[in-house]
Amino acid sequence: MTSDQTTDAPAPSPLGHVPPAALLPVPRDKRHIGLGRLYLRRFLRNRLAIAGVVILLLLLLFSSFGGLFTSYSYSDADFAALTQPPGAEHWFGTNQGGNDIYASAVHGLQRSLAIAVSVSVLTLVLAAVIGSGAAYFGGRVEKATLAVIHFLLIVPSFLILALVSHRLAGDWRVLIVVLTVFGWMSTARVIWSVSTSLRERDYVTAAEFMGVRPLRIIVRHIIPNLGSLLIVNLTLGVVATVLSETALSFLGFGVQTPDVSLGTMLAAGAGTVTSAPWLFAFPAGLVVLLTVSMTFIGDGLRDALDPTSVTGAAGGRR
Amino acid sequence: MLRHVTRKAAGWLLMIAVATNATYFLASWFLDPRSNYQGQRPVRSEAQIDLALAPYNLDPRVPVVHRWWDWVTSVVLRFDWGKSPTGVSVNGEIGYRSLVSAELVVIATVLSVVVGVALGVYTASRQYGWADRVSQAVSIVVFNIPASVIALAVVFVAIWLNQHAGLHFLYVAGENSPNVQGLLPTIGDRLLHLILPTLTLTLMGYVGYHLTQRSLLLDTLNADFVRTAQATGLTRAQAIRRHALRTALIPTATSVAFSVPAIFTGAIITETIFGWNGMGRYFVQTISKNDVHGTVATAAFAAALTAIGAILADIATVFLDPRVRVS
Repeated sequence: MTSDQTTDAPAPSPLGHVPPAALLPVPRDKRHIGLGRLYLRRFLRNRLAIAGVVILLLLLLFSSFGGLFTSYSYSDADFAALTQPPGAEHWFGTNQGGNDIYASAVHGLQRSLAIAVSVSVLTLVLAAVIGSGAAYFGGRVEKATLAVIHFLLIVPSFLILALVSHRLAGDWRVLIVVLTVFGWMSTARVIWSVSTSLRERDYVTAAEFMGVRPLRIIVRHIIPNLGSLLIVNLTLGVVATVLSETALSFLGFGVQTPDVSLGTMLAAGAGTVTSAPWLFAFPAGLVVLLTVSMTFIGDGLRDALDPTSVTGAAGGRR
Repeated sequence: MLRHVTRKAAGWLLMIAVATNATYFLASWFLDPRSNYQGQRPVRSEAQIDLALAPYNLDPRVPVVHRWWDWVTSVVLRFDWGKSPTGVSVNGEIGYRSLVSAELVVIATVLSVVVGVALGVYTASRQYGWADRVSQAVSIVVFNIPASVIALAVVFVAIWLNQHAGLHFLYVAGENSPNVQGLLPTIGDRLLHLILPTLTLTLMGYVGYHLTQRSLLLDTLNADFVRTAQATGLTRAQAIRRHALRTALIPTATSVAFSVPAIFTGAIITETIFGWNGMGRYFVQTISKNDVHGTVATAAFAAALTAIGAILADIATVFLDPRVRVS
């Protein structure tokens, strides 16, 4: 405890005292605001990204408040209306057990979104720490970490995912843990490759000479400079998680039956694609809207945050 | 060059071995073979169930390391992958199924690479033209559709076509029809059954190659050496094909290995939906039945497919990249 304080305390003071006189006067603050506005302007220039934001907001509204417009719950069974097509009473129809598809879709979207967002955030944190850690330490640590990452990337990780979650899942919170443990590798690899160049920067060397501890350098100096990459990967992580969650639940290894996610709804509708297409069409539509809107947002963010990016519509049109 | 490929192949063999053994331990911890006997009437006691599992090397009372050693020796010495908890031989199941799946995955991988790279080259050389914009939009949307939705959409369209256009050669279930006699009709029948699952897997697989190949080629299109090539009198198409594409293909070739696991995952869902008795469906069945040996055999098969893809990619790299040949 005391040793922590003694090593910790001097670290911020030189960093805080030396630059402000020369480098941190008022203009820096103004430029900072300008940068934020620049990002926003660049983002708004991308029409697809705006469409993505609008779709995502509508989906969020639907999942949080959609339940208010129906008197049914996803677990209620209406035995007077089995396998009804969409109509006035049941907006999206009902399934073979009389469950209201509208209510199920609201609940399923909530479930899938909760899983996707938490897995994406957790994976990103794990990947950022491991990826930049490997790059910062270099040498044997780097080699060992990369070997593990490559191994896990090549190993049919979906099989292992199915194996582990078959036993543990049923509870969607367990699914979050399992998906995180097997989902961080490719992001970590990208973060590692970008961090290798950050490791050589002067501000990292300077912090090293001042005796700042490695963990602090990683958290305070390397990870903040990966900001744009991390934000973009957050949106893409949501897409990847939705895809794996639907695949796992479709095969019966993810969310389990009393509970409902978009993946279990797809699985339930798979057998009746021609005879009762609404069972399948509504969850499929929601999944596609969710993933496509997140991708558009991710692309827009990449173009807005990364000055060197030349891909995408924004660069081409203007 | 031969040494390069041999060294890589040895590395992959080691990878398969490690992955398979790791899966064995994971499967032993997470699967419970006893569940196969617990629902039976008359009810058996725990000890009786353990005794029933003992001949298949699944007795939970034996330490897992002992079971693993017996399993490893039988795989290495006799290529015997063990038995399911109910005594069905794994070898008998995977012999036929691995051929079915390998057929599906290999054809789909090759088609994905060819279609994806061709589209990437076509659209990159016409950047921001209408063909580029349309195919880009289609690819981005397809890239984000879950495998199950793609497969079921293909089924839906195929059934609609069958009904409305009077086409009856699109099969949505199984890998062959019963009661087909003779060599040529059998081959024809199997090919017809292959159409839709291959189409589904190719739809899932081509997108990655299209998008990456397009951006890779865009990076090299304006390079000096391509302009020089055009200055020596080559047409633009020739310069792209012989000079720009050659450089831009190298990263794509190496990425084939990394895409095989994704295609195999797609194959699991495709086989489930199209009712193919391949390894993907076997995998789902073995996990649901807590069949340790069957699960491990599937994982080994998937790892082997990945390794084959990677070795092919390495050979392609040797041909494409002069730096590898020199060093």
